[in-house]
Amino acid sequence: MLRNYFKIAWRNLWKHRSFSLIIVCGMAVAFAAAILLSVTAHQELTYDQFHENKDHIYQLYDIDQRPNGIEYGATMPVPMAPTLKNEYGDIVYITRWGSGEGEYVRYKDKELDLSTRAVDPDFLRMFSFPVVAGDKSPLKELNHIAITENCAKTLFGNEEAIGKTLEIQFGGEWRSMLVTAIVKNIPTNSSFKFDILTRFENFPGYKTNSDRWDNRNHEVFLQLNENVSKASMEKRLPAFSQKYMAGKIEDLKKAGVQPDAEGYYTRMKLIPLEDLHFTNISNTGAGVSRFYPYLLVLISAFILFIACVNFVNLSLARSFTRAKEIGIRKVMGALRWQLITQFWGEALIVSSMALLVGVGLAYWLLPYYQAIFYPGISMRVLGSPLFLAYLVLGFLFITLLAGGYPAWVVSAFNTVQTVKGKLATGKSNALRNTLMVVQFVLSSLLIICTFIAWQQLQYLRNKPLGFNKEEIISIPISPTLESEKAIQLMRTKLAQQPQVISITAADINMGKGRDGSLQTSIMGFDYKDKIIRTHWQLVDYDYLKTFGLQLVEGRDFSREYGTDSLALIINETMAKQLGEGSAVGALLPVEEDKNYTVIGVVKDFHFKSLHQEVAPLTLSLNHVWPLQYIFVRVQPTALASAMEMVTKAYKEIDPRSMFEASYLDENTDRQYERETKLSKIFVSGAVLTILISCMGLFAIVLLVIVQRTREIGIRKVLGASVPHIVALVSKDFIRLVALAIIIASPLAWYIMNQWLKDFAYRITIEWWVFVLAGLVAIFIAFITLSFQSVKAALKNPVKSLRTE
Amino acid sequence: MIKIKDLEKIYRTEEVETVALNKLSLEVKEGEFVAVMGPSGCGKSTLLNILGLLDDPDGGSFMFNNIEVAHFNERKRADLRKHNIGFVFQSFNLIDELTVFENVELPLIYTGVKSAERKKRVEEVLDKMQIMHRRNHYPQQLSGGQQQRVAVARAVVNRPKLILADEPTGNLDSSNGNEVMQLLTDLNEQGTTIVMVTHSEHDARYSHRIIRMLDGQTVLENIMV
Ligand SMILES: Nc1ncnc2c1ncn2[C@@H]1O[C@H](COP(=O)(O)OP(=O)(O)OP(=O)(O)O)[C@@H](O)[C@H]1O
Ligand SMILES: [Mg+2]
Repeated sequence: MLRNYFKIAWRNLWKHRSFSLIIVCGMAVAFAAAILLSVTAHQELTYDQFHENKDHIYQLYDIDQRPNGIEYGATMPVPMAPTLKNEYGDIVYITRWGSGEGEYVRYKDKELDLSTRAVDPDFLRMFSFPVVAGDKSPLKELNHIAITENCAKTLFGNEEAIGKTLEIQFGGEWRSMLVTAIVKNIPTNSSFKFDILTRFENFPGYKTNSDRWDNRNHEVFLQLNENVSKASMEKRLPAFSQKYMAGKIEDLKKAGVQPDAEGYYTRMKLIPLEDLHFTNISNTGAGVSRFYPYLLVLISAFILFIACVNFVNLSLARSFTRAKEIGIRKVMGALRWQLITQFWGEALIVSSMALLVGVGLAYWLLPYYQAIFYPGISMRVLGSPLFLAYLVLGFLFITLLAGGYPAWVVSAFNTVQTVKGKLATGKSNALRNTLMVVQFVLSSLLIICTFIAWQQLQYLRNKPLGFNKEEIISIPISPTLESEKAIQLMRTKLAQQPQVISITAADINMGKGRDGSLQTSIMGFDYKDKIIRTHWQLVDYDYLKTFGLQLVEGRDFSREYGTDSLALIINETMAKQLGEGSAVGALLPVEEDKNYTVIGVVKDFHFKSLHQEVAPLTLSLNHVWPLQYIFVRVQPTALASAMEMVTKAYKEIDPRSMFEASYLDENTDRQYERETKLSKIFVSGAVLTILISCMGLFAIVLLVIVQRTREIGIRKVLGASVPHIVALVSKDFIRLVALAIIIASPLAWYIMNQWLKDFAYRITIEWWVFVLAGLVAIFIAFITLSFQSVKAALKNPVKSLRTE
Repeated sequence: MIKIKDLEKIYRTEEVETVALNKLSLEVKEGEFVAVMGPSGCGKSTLLNILGLLDDPDGGSFMFNNIEVAHFNERKRADLRKHNIGFVFQSFNLIDELTVFENVELPLIYTGVKSAERKKRVEEVLDKMQIMHRRNHYPQQLSGGQQQRVAVARAVVNRPKLILADEPTGNLDSSNGNEVMQLLTDLNEQGTTIVMVTHSEHDARYSHRIIRMLDGQTVLENIMV
């Protein structure tokens, strides 16, 4: 009997090839999209979940009560880790994780930029980065290193890596290191990324900081005893802070802050490993919002749902044209479940094909997907039992719904009626229409969201920031150089260039540079019984000129005044915070023994992303720590050639540099990577849902027209024009789309308003967005409809009447 | 075999109530060949549908082989139907997607006959109906007469005790019609009870007895000699 069903199913599908094709294509596209999106979501949500001890590993961070609110920080002083381990027996393993130094590696004549991370030997005991060759408990000696398989390949090719010596640059000094172990390549969903692991004792500044509690330069991870919970450990940690960080607590008290509810000025807490990827506190974590993976899951569910609706609708519509077959089968003694099984079988065949094509499609699209959206995802999860179970269950459900449900509906009708091939289709049309409305609600929702996200993004990109971003090149000064000298050299090199308008430097980049860094430094001090907090930026001469900032009051830094190293320029917001009538001349007690003088006030400009309001800012010429970025303002006439020229000049200063200069507009755009990614997701979600919905619409119209061929023929004989017929056929569907837009609009408005709250500067949602989105949806639907309706309207009525 | 008393069937639509069968009583004995005649709309098809357990009556009693079936549910009716009753329709009602062989095989599949046995029995009836050579054709590739022979083959393949035929020659020319009538007569002679609705006096003459209906009631019975 089963074979019989499949045979008939196959024949049926073949007979209605165009429908089958539409269903298979639609479902395949949906499956492919759903696979890619859910693999991405899976990747995001399973970050760091491959560690065996994941449930007991935490990152340490502290919470300080500050005058301007609570501050979280994950960087730790050097003695922290060993002292903690001494004090608490429940800490099984603890490791420091130092990054950002020792990036250059030399082997024979190769010099490479690799990620070297400084850790304690516990690192490889607590985390599951298995050693595949060499010393099973590596990093015994200070000059031992462990490298990844990939790194071994890059450095040594096919040669044996164990026992080789290479050189790593730490803080400007080359040291010889011995490879004693190779660890398996790091999974792509690991927050910890490294090529080389070295002992933390090699970390620059280790010696000078080894008993200093006030200098923080690395992160700390620890593994607790299995029976110790996070909460109970966090309860015991404040005592440690009291004991070892008394100095800091004193400072906080002096600054006049209020302790927290439990009376602590500072305390330490733990971030569970599973939250690491999503937290903003840790530098190792990515601060990814959990919202994104869930949004991906949601969108893939949308897409699958829409494809399923197509499937259900088409099967339903077709089963009405197949009513006669069902009736005859019933007369011949078929039971209801037998009919349902038969139709389910057909659905199963179709969806199996769709699944096969979909998986193939997903594999084929993977490289493009990685390039555009998400590098480094792998399809390996597809093979995992959980994923397979999820797939099989979802699959059975979909096929049962799409195949079984229509059969269930149709087989419930009176047998005599079905044999005649006539059915009261009213009820089923209601269902079909409801499903189509839901489909278009989802599509319109995504269209509207796309519009609004795009508008906001344009707004962010185009909003005047108060400084000139198109014509300024930012160059990171490599840490191996002495920055003052490098700036001086660049000044002299570029002085003769007519393309260069001015040059300056600062300790903080503007926007997010190619090196991916985003820095902030905030200073706090007492001023006239008030606690003042301000962003603090070290700058060089010509800062205002280079950025095109306007002075509201006072004067710019000038080489003519020898005293300018203690001079400050502040922004308007800072001036307001000081509360003076005129801020110029104010003496600010920033350091205990020195007063700084305000010499000028600049107009507010957006030195941070538009997520935040303009905050108080102070510019200082006193280079107490090295400047890290050079800014060159060039003539707007030849930006590309200017970039080339500046690049060349810098290369001459630092021939080995990994030069990553960029125009500032590129940097400011980079601040909105998240939003750009989101709008890409919206766009592709919208395109896919529209595409699949339209496929469904197309096929439904095809069926409706087949059913109405006779009616259309008669109307034409009676004198109906082509537009009249097109309108007749399209009217009902357009009405559904319009209804969908009406439902989707308030939903989209609500969702996007929530999203916009993320930005201090944002657009207001305009009514015409909804109208526009509506018109787009209707237009697309109408085009889809027209393919069929025009054809039907143009058909010779004599022919269509005869076919009945 | 069939005993009907005061059978009622009323179709209700939004505006009107149509009394299709009005307290109709009727008896058909095993082995009989009965023709039902009457003007269009008098309820013949309705009667046949109820006799065939495709539809349920709104009142009265219906004894099938001495069992009251008027109140049977869908499942029980289907079970009784597939083992006992074969149908022949005016418009053949073959499934377009199935071949001749598969169409005839259908009732056997639903009664759970094994594949080898099915093959044997289908070939047997196809042989008897002289359409064996068309076994792999699809209905659209056959003439009306051939299609109706396939329909008859399908109706008898399960060896039903009762065959219900609703205007079996209605869509056929006279020579094809006669052929089908001959088939039915042969079946009747082999012991199958037949109830046939027809508009043709000619066809009715093949039967033992003619029941004439008007407005949902029997008005006259002619016994053929
Ligand atoms: N599904 C239905 N809904 C409403 N009324 C119906 C339905 N089926 C039949 N009728 C009505 O019941 C009456 C009997 O119909 P039936 O089909 O039994 O007539 P008939 O004698 O077979 O006619 P014909 O010779 O034209 O086939 C008719 O008046 C018809 O309009
Ligand atoms: Mg009739």
